[in-house]
This record gives sequence, C-alpha cells and structure tokens, in this order.
Amino acid sequence: MSTGKTISLVTAHVHKNIAKDVTTGIKDAGVLDFYMYAARSVVIDKKQGVWSMLPGRDLAEDPLETIFFLATHEAGPSLAHRIAELGHLYAPGRGSVLVEAVDLLEGHALCRENEVPGPYVPPPPGHLHTCTGICCIMQRGQGETVARIPLDTGTCVPAIHFGTGMGVRDKMGLLRITIPWEKEIVYAFTTLHEADNIMEMMIEAGRLERPGSGFIYTFPIEKGLVNIRVRRGQQQHAASIEQIVTTLDSIKGGTDWRRRRNLGSRRAGREKQYIRNLVDMVLICDGGTGPDLMKAAMAAGAGGATISSVQYVRPADSPQGAIPPVRDACSMVIPESMTGRVRLALEAAGAFTDRCHGRVHVRKTYKAFTYIGG
Amino acid sequence: MAPSKPQRIHIGFRQALSLLAPYIKDRLLTQIRSVWLIILYLVFFQTLILRIRIFEAAVIAVGIGLVVVGLTLFMEGLFLGLMRLGSLIGSGLPRKSPIWVVLMFSLVLGFLATLAEPSIQVLQMAGMSVKPWDAPLLFLLLNRYAHYLVYAVGIGVGVAVALGMFRFYYNVSLKPFIYLFVTALAGATVWASLDANLASIVGLAWDCGAVTTGPVTVPLVLALGIGVSRMVGSAESGTTGFGVVTLASLLPVVAVLTLGAVLNTTVPAPMSRTGFFSEENRARVQVLFEASSDFDRYRLQETGPAPGEVPAEGIADDGSGPAIDMRGLLQRNGVAALKAIGLLTVPIFLVFFLVVRERLPHPDEILLGLFLCVAGLAVFSIGIELGLDKLGTQVGKKLPAAFKTIAIPEAGRAIDGFDPTIVQTAVSESGEPYQFFFTQKGRRVVSVPYEAERFDPLTRRYHYTPVKGPLFGEGATVPGVLLVVVFAFIMGYGATLAEPALNALGVTVEDVTAGAFRKSLLMQAVAVGVGIGIALGVMKIIFAFSLAWILVPAYLVLLLVTRLSTEDFVNIGWDSAGVTTGPITVPLVLAIGLGIGSQVGVVEGFGILAAASVCPILTVLLLGLHVNRKQRDALAESADGDGRKS
Repeated sequence: MSTGKTISLVTAHVHKNIAKDVTTGIKDAGVLDFYMYAARSVVIDKKQGVWSMLPGRDLAEDPLETIFFLATHEAGPSLAHRIAELGHLYAPGRGSVLVEAVDLLEGHALCRENEVPGPYVPPPPGHLHTCTGICCIMQRGQGETVARIPLDTGTCVPAIHFGTGMGVRDKMGLLRITIPWEKEIVYAFTTLHEADNIMEMMIEAGRLERPGSGFIYTFPIEKGLVNIRVRRGQQQHAASIEQIVTTLDSIKGGTDWRRRRNLGSRRAGREKQYIRNLVDMVLICDGGTGPDLMKAAMAAGAGGATISSVQYVRPADSPQGAIPPVRDACSMVIPESMTGRVRLALEAAGAFTDRCHGRVHVRKTYKAFTYIGG
Repeated sequence: MAPSKPQRIHIGFRQALSLLAPYIKDRLLTQIRSVWLIILYLVFFQTLILRIRIFEAAVIAVGIGLVVVGLTLFMEGLFLGLMRLGSLIGSGLPRKSPIWVVLMFSLVLGFLATLAEPSIQVLQMAGMSVKPWDAPLLFLLLNRYAHYLVYAVGIGVGVAVALGMFRFYYNVSLKPFIYLFVTALAGATVWASLDANLASIVGLAWDCGAVTTGPVTVPLVLALGIGVSRMVGSAESGTTGFGVVTLASLLPVVAVLTLGAVLNTTVPAPMSRTGFFSEENRARVQVLFEASSDFDRYRLQETGPAPGEVPAEGIADDGSGPAIDMRGLLQRNGVAALKAIGLLTVPIFLVFFLVVRERLPHPDEILLGLFLCVAGLAVFSIGIELGLDKLGTQVGKKLPAAFKTIAIPEAGRAIDGFDPTIVQTAVSESGEPYQFFFTQKGRRVVSVPYEAERFDPLTRRYHYTPVKGPLFGEGATVPGVLLVVVFAFIMGYGATLAEPALNALGVTVEDVTAGAFRKSLLMQAVAVGVGIGIALGVMKIIFAFSLAWILVPAYLVLLLVTRLSTEDFVNIGWDSAGVTTGPITVPLVLAIGLGIGSQVGVVEGFGILAAASVCPILTVLLLGLHVNRKQRDALAESADGDGRKS
C-alpha cells in the first residue's frame, strides 16, 4: 500500500482505429494493467457544395478510445512518447496523449502504479509540452456547447465521454428521477497562458453561472501532445495550419511563441468568482460499488461525484485477474483540506478491501467554477 | 459496509410540481416529435389525396393521444426499470455463475420473451383470410397448431439469445453466424418455394423472425447483452453487446421452416375449394382440424354465404362505430402488458436474488420503472387499437383506390322509399348500357351507379355504397401504383421513427459509443431502409411475385456488404433490422398488406415485414461503410503529414 506518493497518470485519447496499436504497444512496453473507455471527439466539418445549403450542425464526431494508467513518475514521459510514436500522434489529427503528476493516496494492494522496466527513452526536446487541462462536466446533450470553444479557437480537439452524476439528486426521494443523472464530461487541453481565457469562454458558452448547469476546472499537465487538427476538409495550402503549428512548436521547443491577445471572449461585466484550492479525487473501484462508496464520501462532506464506467484490461492469469473487468471511476472535486476526511470515510466504507479493490489518486486543480448560491 | 444515510432534502408540493412539470413536458414532447410525422401523414393522405373523410375521427384522436401518453410512460419505464434490470443481471450473473448457467438463463429468457410478447397473434390476424384449400399448411400453422408455431419461434429466440451470450464469452464475430444462417435460409427459402405447401409459409416464417423482437424483449436483451459482454469479453473487442437481436430474428425463421417441413408430410396439397369440402378428401383435410366437429363448423361457416360474395367486405362491420367496450379493452390490454413485463421480470428478479444475491441499487426507481412499463404498454396498446390501428386500416383499405375502384362501406347508407323509376340509362364509350340515378349529396347533385340487387322492393330501400377511384385510370397504371409505393415508403419511414424498440437501440448505441454514433443518424438510416422495404413488399403484393425474389437477392447483397463492413456496424446494422418491426409498424403494414391483398386477391399479406427487415440492414451497413471511409481518409491524411502510413 503506497501512500502519498507522486506518480504519473498517463492518458491517451486516440481514434478507435488506432487504439489497438497503442494498447498492444504499451503492453509490450511493460504496462501490466490499464483502463479504457469509449469517448468521442468532435471536429469542425463544414458541409461542401450543395450540402452547405442544408441546415444542421457543422460538427463531425469520431469514435475515440481513452486509455489511461498509472506509472512511476520517472516512466511517465517516456511512456507518453512511446504512445505518441505508436499511434503516430505527432501528426496532428490522430489523438492526444498527456502525462500528469498525481498523488496516489491509498489503494488496494493489487491496484498499484505500473512499474515499467527501463531504460526510459525521454521524448525528444520540443515534442511534448507543458500544458493545462480543462475538464467540464455538463448535463448530457449540453457538452457540445462548451466543446465548440476549443474548436473555434483552434486550441485542441476536445474529448467527450459519458458519466453519471451524484449529488443533490441522491438526497431526494423518488422525485430524483426528474433530475437527469446522465452527464457529459468534456476534456480540452490548452497552452499554459491561454487556459484562463479558454476557460472563461467555455463558462460563457455553457452559461455555467446558472445553477445546476455544470462544473468546470483547470488542472496542470506535466507533458502533453495535443491534437490540434480542429478542422476537416479541403486544404488550399501546401501544408495545413496544424502541421505548421506543430512544426514551429518543435522548432521553438514549446508553445510559448503562440501568444494570442484576443480570443474573442466577450469579457463578462462581472468578475468571476473562481474557487481555488480544490483537488480532483478519483476513486477507481469495482463496477457497481461506486455509487455506495460515493454516498459514503458525500456523507463525509463531498458535494457530489461523477461516475464513469471503465473497462479494466489486465492479464487474466495475473493476480489482477481477481479484479472484475468492469470498474467505476468516481471523481469528486473537493477542497484540498477535505481529502483526509473523505479518504477515511471511503476506508470505513470498505473501499480498499477485496470487495471493492479501490484506489484513490488525487489531481491538483488550478481553479474551478460553478454556480455557488447567493 | 456501514450504510451511511445522507440527510434527505425535503421537497414541498410546489417545488415538486416545479420539478415534475418540465420533466413530464420534456418527455411528452419527445414522443410527440416521434409520432407526429406518421399520424399527420396518414390523415393528410386519406383526406387530401384519397379525398375520403376519416371515420370515427374522435375515437382515433383519443387513441392517438393515448399512444403518445403510453409511449412516454413506457420509454421512461424502459430506461428507469427494465433496461437497468437487464444490465444488472447481465453484469451480475457472469460474475457469480459459470457460463452454462448464463446460457440456460438466456435460453429461458428468450423463450419467455416470445410467450410474453403478443406478436404472434398479430400474425394470426394477418392470416385470417387464409383459406385451408389454398394453403393447407399455412392454415394448419395459424390455427390448429398455432401453439406449435409459438413454441418453435420461442425455441428459436431462446437459442438465439443463448448463442449471442456464447459469442460474448468467446469473442466470436457475428459475421460467420450471419453467413451460415443467411445462406442456409436463402437455400431453404428457394427450396421451400418449390413446394406448393411450404411456399405458403415462407412469408410467415420470415415475418415471424421480424415480429418476435418487440419493444420489451429488445431493450432487455440489449441491456443484458451489454452487461454480459462487458463483464466477460475482452475490452479491446470493440462495440460488443450487440448482435443478439440479429440472431433472434434469424433463428426463428429456421425454426418455423423446420416445423413446416416436419408438418408438411401430413398435410394434403393445396386443392380447389369444392375439392376441399368433397367427401373423398374428408379424411385428408381432417388433419387441419382438431376434431371432426371443428371441420363441420368451419364448413358451415364457409359455405354459409353465397359463393362469390366477399365476406366481411360487403357489410359495414366495425366501421359504423359500435360502442367501444372500454372495460374489455382496458382489461385485455392491461393483462397483456402485465404478462409481457411480468413473464420477463419475475424470472430476472428470482435469478437476481437467488443467484447473484446482491443488493438491488435504487430499488424504488426500478420498481417505479417497471410499473411505468406496464402502465405505458397498456395505455399504448389501447391507443394503438383505438387510434393508429383504425386509422391505418382505413387508409390501408382505401389505398387501392389509387389504381382500382373500391367500395367504401363505412360511408354506405340506405335510401328509404326509393323509386326505381328515377333510374336512368346511359351508355359507356364502348357502347355498353349503364344504369345510374341522381342523388343529392349536401347541396350537390351527383350521379350514382344503380345496381338492381341492392334494391329491396319490399321495403323500397336502396342500399348505397359509395365507391372511390381509380384515381389514375383503370388497371395498375404507373401513377396509381407509384402513389401506393410512395405512400408505403413514407409510411414505413414515419412509423419507424416512432418505434420504441428502435429508440431504445438508438439510445443504447449512443451510450456505448459515447455519442460517436448518434441516435438520430442510426434512426434515419433505419427508417429509410424500412420505407424502401415496405415499398418493395407492397410491390410484391400488387404484382404478386414470390417473396424469394426480394429476399434472396437482398440477402446476397447483404452478405457481400457484411463482408466489407466492420464488426461494429455489422452488429448494429443487423440488430436494427430486428427492432424495426414493432407495435407501430406492424399493424400499419399489415393493414396495408391486407387492404391491398384483399383488393387484388392474394392469399396472404405476409412478407412485407420480412422485406422491411432486410432493407434497413443494408442502409445501416452502407452508412457504416461511408462513415468508416470518411474516418479512414481523415486518419490517413493526418498520418501522411508524419511521413508514415496509418
């Protein structure tokens, strides 16, 4: 059982067609167990010719496979580089891969970080950059309103997946059925200096200042390769703008050169009240046990939780074979000071026993925003 | 674990209302959006194109209102109760028990599903006009051995569900199953259509496959499949969990054809009507009836009306608006709904509590969901019976007016004190005399053809049945037939969009792919496919060609397209074929089939449903090929920038 250790959380959002290459590759690299879930990406796809007369959306969706796993802190960047190589992600348009430093708070003995054997091949300079992640949780069906912002600003191709929300709903009687529990979780990735701007635009687009409309927060990403091919269709130049940007990024050795002054944010009159000092506490436990554990966490003070069902991939003949292949990933964004209490509550509820095989890691956030009464 | 009870939020009455109102409004609007097209279209078609007023409009309007309310309740119940229950048992059972238990459970569940859903009765209705001398085997299967038919279909569905689960365990592609069954079925269909007796049940067999998978079975089986496949399958095998419905549409066809082939040995060949009732054939035809008294009763009933007269057509039977037996209606549909849901959920609950032995999460929501399912299904069926069915039958019966003259018995009336001296004689263009008289209709005077046998000299009453059509000249003219075919297409398209099982499939697909495959896209593709299929089926009836001419080439093309498609789309595409023919489409399709069939004199109206099942597979798979090509292109384009191949 490891406590309070900093490790790497490696996440890859890749097109479904190349997911297989990536998973076989990381297995070969020595990653024993990892998680997968279905997601989608949206890109701008303007209708051409006669079709442009037809009304309708100008977005096209692609099936994504999101793959994530924990690895030792030293191995993280090298594995991300490996994934980028395997999926040819250095060419924009195929997917993103990100490494975060997270704290492994507590975990069942079987659920540890992957100790990948060396030698570690660090990514060549200028290939992976420090960036900022934006996570926005909305009601199902609303996700595209905020996902448009990174697309329209050419920031990145967002990844969207489904989950279920817990919160006020579970404190109500049967009337809770009137409150939809299906959530859409949108991930976007920006350069360090643009994050605040993009976040603000997403808040405005999703009208997150209204009660019950959603939750958004930004979080640090140590190293990342972001898919910036936001547009599909005909090209009129020798190279696409995405190719040029990627090339410049690697020449300049970072994304600092791409500073933009005006992203089109309409500066809302009122200064927004951001919430700071929050952490995203993620519990991964056996399928079906998530809701009860989250109830325990909420009784200990957590405001709410979002649960996504994830597929657990591990060799069936390893000790990890005892863990069922369907697991719940439960995310709670709570004040940093509350982590200890929630962790104790989870422990008391049996989260780390053989019944749940739970594991908790904590991701720091920069700032968050949602409707806060008054 | 210590169950921690979070404090309840107390909600006042007003707050509850303010929560409920938008919730209900939202659900109702969704259903209104799904049915408006088909209803407006039917009304529009009958009143503006055929120019016949809608009889019993008030009852139909109430019925349609009930359809919307019923659908709303039912769909909410599906998502809250039935589908959650399905996925709970699907993910719970494989964890707690070995594979054979799961397979046995699936077998039983599939069998019960067939008993639970009253779709076979619909087919019996379709076979009402079947005459034992024309098609003895078909008659036998629909009457004396109807229970064998249900069992055969049940076994087919049961084996299919078990086979589907088996696939998930061993990660087997759906394609080989499709190749195997489709080739076998195509062969069997061709072989059967060479035998006079078996040929008559080909349509029935294929329709059985199409009809069995109804709005209760499909969502349940989908949820079960996804639960099982996620629990036992490999995570990298893509969009699994689908494919069970496909097998459940193919295997019953095999089962019914086999049953037919077995029974065929004892059944006499088709014969003439007089031969059928003659003494020397007595022993041979007796096999079609339970007891000899049944045969006598049937003979009495059949030989009762004078030969040549079409029964059930001459007299305005149900059209004249008899009082509706509300209590009977409620009771019948309520019991049917309870049976449909109960037969499936009771075993699931039993297995859940005895084998899985876990706590049921949100039991109140699930129970409420199941209650909504029952209530919704009952209200919905009543609505279908009162509204959609009646409307469909009216339009269906009148539809042949597009290309031939038909009588409209609902509008018939009696003229008392008729004086035959007002009858006048005209001459047609070819020189034949033609009798008619003038009558006042509203403020207009119209001429009505006079038929002497409709005049009763004793009461001096003339029974007058208005006629309509042909709209585009006598005979199967191109515009007339085209109108019917276009009508059939739009009807199929509209009805499909309202199908609850397809909606459930769409939601499931969207859920599993995290929205990458949108529900609306799937539904559009399926609806277009069903429309094409129904149009083809109607053409089959009008031109009276064999069903094999549609099914065999269509399935051959399908085999090829299946070969080219990805596993995801093969599963989803083939599954959508099974779900298309549900409680909204089937009565409408049968109404048209029977309407046209009775007007052009075809033995049975079967086969349209089968045609309506094959085309959506094709449209979904073609859509899949298109989507895949686009995605591959986009990926390849990006990889080129990297200087490497994808």
